Amino acid sequence: MTKAERRELQERQRAAKAAKVATGPQISGAGLSVKSPQATTPAPSNPKKSSKGNESPLQTKGFLTTGASGPSSKSTKESKASAAAEEADGRSRGLRIFSHFALQKPVGHVAKGDVHPAIVHLGLMFAEFKISGANARCIATLSVFKRVIQDYTTPPNNTLSRHLMTHLSVQISHLVSARPMSVTMGNAIRQLKLEISGSDIDLPEQDAKDALYGKIDNYIRDRIIIADQVIQETAMKKIHDGDVVLTYARSSVVQKVLLEAWAGGTRFSVIVVDSRPMLEGKRLLSAFTAASIPCSYLLLPALGSVISEVSIVLVGAHSIHSNGAVFSRAGTALVAMMAKQHSVPVVVCCETYKFSEGVRLDSFTKNELAPSGDPFSSFPLNRSPTSLIIQNQPNLEILNPLYDLTPPTSITAVVTEAGVIPPDSISSIPLALGRLI
Amino acid sequence: MTALYSDSDAISFESNNLITVQHKFDVYEAYQRALADEDISPPLAAILSLTELVTRSDAGTMFELVQALNDGAETLKKRVPNPIGLTAGCELFIGFVTLFPHESVSFSELKREIVRQGKTYTFHAVNFRAKIAELTLGFIKDDSVILTHSYSRVVTQALLHAHTRKRISVYVTEARPRGLGLKTYDILTAVGIPCTVVLDSAVAYVMDKVDFVLVGSEAVVESGGLINAVGSNQMAIIAKAENKPFYALAESYKFHRLFPLSQYDLPTHNSGILSFPHPKNPHSKERMQISVQSTENCDPSTVSNDHTTMSAPLSTLSSQRTMTSEQMSRNPDVDYTRPDLISLVFSDVGVLTPEGVSQYLVGMFAGL
Repeated sequence: MTKAERRELQERQRAAKAAKVATGPQISGAGLSVKSPQATTPAPSNPKKSSKGNESPLQTKGFLTTGASGPSSKSTKESKASAAAEEADGRSRGLRIFSHFALQKPVGHVAKGDVHPAIVHLGLMFAEFKISGANARCIATLSVFKRVIQDYTTPPNNTLSRHLMTHLSVQISHLVSARPMSVTMGNAIRQLKLEISGSDIDLPEQDAKDALYGKIDNYIRDRIIIADQVIQETAMKKIHDGDVVLTYARSSVVQKVLLEAWAGGTRFSVIVVDSRPMLEGKRLLSAFTAASIPCSYLLLPALGSVISEVSIVLVGAHSIHSNGAVFSRAGTALVAMMAKQHSVPVVVCCETYKFSEGVRLDSFTKNELAPSGDPFSSFPLNRSPTSLIIQNQPNLEILNPLYDLTPPTSITAVVTEAGVIPPDSISSIPLALGRLI
Repeated sequence: MTALYSDSDAISFESNNLITVQHKFDVYEAYQRALADEDISPPLAAILSLTELVTRSDAGTMFELVQALNDGAETLKKRVPNPIGLTAGCELFIGFVTLFPHESVSFSELKREIVRQGKTYTFHAVNFRAKIAELTLGFIKDDSVILTHSYSRVVTQALLHAHTRKRISVYVTEARPRGLGLKTYDILTAVGIPCTVVLDSAVAYVMDKVDFVLVGSEAVVESGGLINAVGSNQMAIIAKAENKPFYALAESYKFHRLFPLSQYDLPTHNSGILSFPHPKNPHSKERMQISVQSTENCDPSTVSNDHTTMSAPLSTLSSQRTMTSEQMSRNPDVDYTRPDLISLVFSDVGVLTPEGVSQYLVGMFAGL
């Protein structure tokens, strides 16, 4: 703001004030005009300032002195105040757009309602990303649910098939408060609900529980473990001797596929692309180097320099939608689009239980925030890393979306346990399974 | 080269088959016999030969029978240089047998039923082409100019059928090295369809004049793409560039559960195709001398052995500038056309978009 602009603004504000308060017209002069906006600026930031006690002296000073010394010192104060107001505005704007991305709130150790301790434990693991990845979270959730069901007793005058679900809902909402539910968990829980509501009322409680354990175990076995094995066998055939396989971040399925292909005698090399803040690719890299697979490790910005050497891109998925869009770790879309641009086939390995009905068009409507990690360490490290960590600055908004959406146009094929399916035909997965998900 | 290897493999396979198959029944021979019929395409021949295998098989259980069928299919695949078409047929038949309801009194009764069903299917399958021809007719306007590639039974039938109702003229590619385009030319001109043979390299030249492209197929794969005689892919690319519709005709038994990611991901691809010959020093010197003699100011270093197409005609010296069989062996028979280049696939199950094909395939093999 130039001085003239500020002047103009103040004139307007003063006129408005004059309409309200009759005292306006008498006040004139530079010192006073500087003063007036502080009185008129809307409440939010001002009360704090006035409570510090420097408001009233200034005011009296303003009224009394019209000298040259006053305006300069006051104008600097003024500009600071307006800058702070803008910052506050900016931050709220940033939050306004992404506020729906689940923010990392500290998980309450105090749980609302009748939450099983194992669930509290699991919630903490989820919140701290100790357990992450769609498969791992789904398996962990289902195994903990088995314990919950074990420790559950049907209250008198109620039946297991009707009451257990209300008990589980409490556990589920606790887990969701720790970290938003993944599509895989959603699908598994829906299946579990179906099984619970279908269990026979006349069955003794322990028998009904045993049946549920069996159902849960079967789900984990059929939809995740066996599915992964089938995917491994199918995807392995797409890797030939001398290929350069590129993968992004870490997917448990991709890891298994490549290790299995290597063990099967195919000789290829792997490029692991990774990115901040989570650097998950490091774990994948250690698995590969342990198996003595020739590897390269690079960060996302270096992708362009290697993409032309790549023969196939193999990535995992968080979920897959009926329009063929793949929701996966942030950065996957970039890799896929780059590969598409260079006519490199992009193959997504994804179990069918990650299928989500509904169409996803962008990654803004629903997403999560990644744990912030250490995004500001820079090279060379001539300053201590702690001095580089910037936090809680009002004008700083750190945004690390956890996922992004790869459009179906940049995907060549999706390897599922039901076969290799082009992304256009993903909607036929329920058909391929011969039932509804 | 590869044929020799696969033959020796097949012999070892036959000896395995002797255990499961009662008499010395050669599934490959049955396949060749079936193929002798002009109307029978590889997938159908495969189904027929496998039905015969079921008749001859002494398998007492379903497991043994499926095992024998798989072995038979494997033998066929090893002995045929281009196994894509017949694999589609084998897949279909074995899938059918696996899911066949066990309602018969005895297993031999069940086998007879399977054989009967297999024969009925192939009998009806021959009429699929007439159905496709009828479907295609709806897309052919009067006075259309059509470009087709090589020779395909179903395309020929569709064109002959269209000729009875509409005026059409056809460009057909020569389709080297087998020159099957001339066969199409002979058939079409015999009934009076205006037809011109164009060079494979003239497809881009002729594309502007045609209304649409009509090709047959060896197999339609799960991506919705197409495997067909080499040259189809470039035709599709050119058609796409000129915004001309590219239609593929395929009987539903050619739908194949395969997902090639690239040309080199096809089962027919081997390390010999597109390979560079090893430079043989004394021989290459000789060649270089010839090339230096015949072409002026040609730097010997640039005339490397890699340019087989270039140096070979020079060595044979003008008279007939054709590729040697050794050079031909480094070339593919079939190529893969991506689904985004294909406008529609006409089949006996209806007119499908490439996405529709993949959905049909996913549904067809559900539960296998």
